[in-house]
Amino acid sequence: MTAFDYAPAIALLPFVSFLVALFGGQYLPKKGALAGIAATAGSLVLSAWVALTVAGGQTYNEALYTFTAGLETFDLHLGILIDPLTALMLLIVSFIALLVHVFSLGYMNDEGETGLPRYYAGLGLFTASMLGFVYADNILMAFMFFELVGLCSYLLIGFNFREAGPPSAAKKAFLVTRFGDYFFLIGVVGIFVTFAGATQTPGLFAGEGSFPVVAEHAIVDGATEGLNTFGFEPQTWFTILGLLVLGGVMGKSAQFPLHTWLPDAMEGPTPVSALIHAATMVAAGVYLVARMYGFYALTPTTLAVIALVGGFTALFAATMGVVKQELKQVLAYSTISQYGYMMLALGSGGYIAAVFHLTTHAVFKALLFLGAGAVIIAMHHEENMWEMGGLKDKMPVTYYTFLAGSLALAGIVPFAGFWSKDEVLYEALIHGFGTEGGLGTVFLVAYAMGLLAVFFTGFYTFRMVYLTFHGEARTETAKKPHGVRWNVKGPLAVLGILATTIGFVNLAPVKKLTGLEVDFLHKWLLGAEGSGWEALLTGYEHYEHVLHDGPAHVLVGEPLGATGTLIASALLSLGLAVAGVLAARSLYKVPEPVEHTDKLGSIKTLLMHNYYQDEYQVWLATGFTYPLSRAADKFDQGVIDGVVNGISSVSLFSGSRVRRLQTGVVTNYALFITIALVVLLVVFGLTGGWF
Amino acid sequence: MVQLPTWTALSPTLLLGLTAIVLLLVDSIDPDSSNNELLAGVAGLGSIAAAATSVWFIVAGTGLPAENGELISLFDDQLVVDQMALFFSFLVASVLTLVVVASYDYMADKARQAKYYSLTVMAATGMSLLGSANGLAVAFVALELASLPSYALVAILKTNKGSVEAALKYFLVGALSSGVFLYGISLVYGATGSLQFDAVAAALTDGVPAGILGIGVLMIVGGVAFKTASVPFHFWAPEAYEGAPAPISAFLSSASKAAGFVLAFRVFATALMGDAVLAVVDWVLVFQVLAIVTMFVGNFAAATQENVKRMLAYSSVGHAGYVLIGLAALTGGSSDAYVLGSGMMHLLVYGFMNTGAFLFIALVEYWDIGRTFEDYNGLATQAPLACAAMTVFLFSLAGLPIGGGFFSKFNLLMATVRSGTWFLGAALIVNSALSLYYYTRVVKAMWIEEPASGLEIERYPIGLYTAVLVAALVTVLLLPGFDAVSQTAETAASLL
Repeated sequence: MTAFDYAPAIALLPFVSFLVALFGGQYLPKKGALAGIAATAGSLVLSAWVALTVAGGQTYNEALYTFTAGLETFDLHLGILIDPLTALMLLIVSFIALLVHVFSLGYMNDEGETGLPRYYAGLGLFTASMLGFVYADNILMAFMFFELVGLCSYLLIGFNFREAGPPSAAKKAFLVTRFGDYFFLIGVVGIFVTFAGATQTPGLFAGEGSFPVVAEHAIVDGATEGLNTFGFEPQTWFTILGLLVLGGVMGKSAQFPLHTWLPDAMEGPTPVSALIHAATMVAAGVYLVARMYGFYALTPTTLAVIALVGGFTALFAATMGVVKQELKQVLAYSTISQYGYMMLALGSGGYIAAVFHLTTHAVFKALLFLGAGAVIIAMHHEENMWEMGGLKDKMPVTYYTFLAGSLALAGIVPFAGFWSKDEVLYEALIHGFGTEGGLGTVFLVAYAMGLLAVFFTGFYTFRMVYLTFHGEARTETAKKPHGVRWNVKGPLAVLGILATTIGFVNLAPVKKLTGLEVDFLHKWLLGAEGSGWEALLTGYEHYEHVLHDGPAHVLVGEPLGATGTLIASALLSLGLAVAGVLAARSLYKVPEPVEHTDKLGSIKTLLMHNYYQDEYQVWLATGFTYPLSRAADKFDQGVIDGVVNGISSVSLFSGSRVRRLQTGVVTNYALFITIALVVLLVVFGLTGGWF
Repeated sequence: MVQLPTWTALSPTLLLGLTAIVLLLVDSIDPDSSNNELLAGVAGLGSIAAAATSVWFIVAGTGLPAENGELISLFDDQLVVDQMALFFSFLVASVLTLVVVASYDYMADKARQAKYYSLTVMAATGMSLLGSANGLAVAFVALELASLPSYALVAILKTNKGSVEAALKYFLVGALSSGVFLYGISLVYGATGSLQFDAVAAALTDGVPAGILGIGVLMIVGGVAFKTASVPFHFWAPEAYEGAPAPISAFLSSASKAAGFVLAFRVFATALMGDAVLAVVDWVLVFQVLAIVTMFVGNFAAATQENVKRMLAYSSVGHAGYVLIGLAALTGGSSDAYVLGSGMMHLLVYGFMNTGAFLFIALVEYWDIGRTFEDYNGLATQAPLACAAMTVFLFSLAGLPIGGGFFSKFNLLMATVRSGTWFLGAALIVNSALSLYYYTRVVKAMWIEEPASGLEIERYPIGLYTAVLVAALVTVLLLPGFDAVSQTAETAASLL
């Protein structure tokens, strides 16, 4: 038996815990928490085993269950693809899920929340869906689990459904992501239709015959036989398909303009926010792009769109984070912004940088949310930062771990976020200089936006830290915070250590400067010849080849020489981050800080209203969609129903006539029968020529 | 493996006949027996044995041609045991089982129970025999064996005026139709000199006297139309179904209709198929006219009924119209086996869903809460399980994918598509849409409307409940299990 034989259990274990919590939770001592902890711990152990096996050079790409067998065409199946990317993501998801389960003991059980079995059932299903999504071997299965993830987030965000806010936020999250998923669904169908003629396995992500590889042959080698591109040039059509799938990505990963659901989703319990932001829901979108990167790398237009959307979202969300007053709101905007960085990296050819940032972000964002959760417990569920202050001395564990997370988020050396964000920006920069034409310019524009966002990130992060933990306590509650137990501190400590150190898994700049072989993640994802999984064609070496030789022609350019560019880029981003931190320090690290953001005047109003994004989307819903629906309804009521009603009244009228045939007098019946028979005889006799 | 003697191929029919005789024996010893357990038990065992034997034979391939290509035939080819015969034996026997189980409660405090059971089983024997009939004479005898007990059964509630009146009308129209049918047989015999189907087919060459044959064929159509309750020979059906005890309505509208159709399938697909006949009288066209008229009359009349049982009676007429597609779409091409098979599939599914629906009516009659749609208001608050089953039946009858009715209608539709008779398909769709309207009325009354004050159900009879729930279960299971049905039906149809 190898680890891969147990791989299905990685997703099934949390699913079992879902069932246990749902049906037996109320009889269990911790209402299902222990089942969830056991299941996610089991998943983590199995994921680790799988990762070790993958490290040994083995991969896995098999169909497990075919639910629709096609005759002379493709099958629809559930299957598992495990390559180093999957293995890494499995580890992240099951690890974060485990910590969130443990933390929930403190946040939910100790706080005496009701409805816990429902909560733990939701967490279990959420984890199971995300794990299933992560190792889906084909895009249809990925879509199915993607939707399950969306459903679970709906259930969990709306956990406190008796209050006013959560159900509304849950609906918003569901609807906005569904809007994106609609395009994703069309994209999935489109992919199957397009590639069905050229390969037996059009939905697969990896290996010969998978759609990214077939598409690559079509564009690079001109092998378009059997492809159905609806009359478009293959490249145009693949761009359309890529953008359609990207719709789902932008919804789930909260990219502009579909980011509006995410800040509202803070209505959910804080551990759920941690799970959503760090490892599951939001990560799903970016992960999907990474999963089918071979497809996106083929089409420069989609790369440009991804990079621009990412860069813009990074900056845009960071500016909004500056004025927020609630702890979790700041974190929400930081999530949007950080996922923007990942998209920026993916768009500009920095595949490894994106995965790296996804990894570090999962750790430090989980840490920050759990830290915020600890603060919220201490503050008796008060979330406004202006009501806090001076918590540093009362909750040292929370403070120092939160500080580690904040330094990571702000991108201060040597914390995790610095390394990954620096690599994101560096890749965008060198590809921007190296790539010819419009695409290079786009990369540089996106880079500029990402770079500017670094300053804002440093600022809002430390504004949050200073307001929450430093200065004098501004309220009675903040003077006497509620203590937290081991089940809160434990996860915080683990994540705090990781947030400080996880950046060391990929010290690419150090390698470039000193030649030390310390870029472990790079090696992990490379998939070069002889690595044992080059046949899957999902390694960075293959992607680099596609980016380089494909239509995108992404090249590397270093205007200041190799070392010079590297150091300049690092110094630039670090300098901006430090500047942001210092600005925050000068404004807010005082005993009694004031709302400096008031000085921004109308800009503050604009930022507080999130650039009126919600307003215009609400207007789109009420001012445009609603009248349109009403018109459609009018048409339906008037014309369609009119026709239907007309037909039905005609039917009923003739029905009542028909009914009168049944007179109840048996002699009439005999007469009718005889007449009918005679008529038949005469008609057929005449036509048949009997007489 | 032991090779059974050839005559045992008739076992399903023989078992039914034997059961009828045993019941008759009980009746002659103790005419006023109200030993319901014994009577229903014997009838139930007999019918289950017949159904089980049919399934066994179907699975064992008894009805498939032997190595020399011959089917099992008995009595000088007057009877044949092929897949179709077994298919219909199974259908009749399973409907009978459901009806008998339901009657255990329904007839509990009624008089003449022994007669009731023996007549029911006897009618079933006739219907099963009809499936094996391979000649016009045997067919007529079997038809009468099925019909005569039916008349008596409708009248079994002697003191109930409606029951007696319905029976008399049924009998009079039946007598007229039998006369027409018999006259048709004699004319066909006159034209061909044979009664056995294959011999008739062989004799039908260009030289046959057109007038005699044509009138004969049309009159046989009339006889078939009576038994299947097709327009214009349907007049008896709404009245008989409404007046009869509900289990008998279930029996007549499902099993008796199926028996009529197997007769039609055999006569027309075996004996009267061929260009020589079609040149004289285009019976395919006749059935096309009948199918469309039957669909529209049945469904339109059903839409305006106030009484649920009568609505089901008319819907039963409408369903006869759907099944007639199995004959009306026989265009002589490669699609014929599929067309005929789809008619058979619908009959089988219909056997369960329609029987179930009528047995639900029996349940309501048992509770004595009234007959109109309004009387059903809020019934689900009192009997959710039974109402859920009824909902399954009705939606399956309408063709929604909740039961096997979806696939069988879908196959009928595909049959019209494959044979190019698009107008039949269009009529099928229009009428199915209309039927959804009146079926939904019942569902709405049961689940959505407020119950009338004082609606209370005290007794939950075990037999009726069992029968209704089993029928519902089978209806639902036919959705995933439809493949087996369709394969058997298509094989059976291709053997003709």
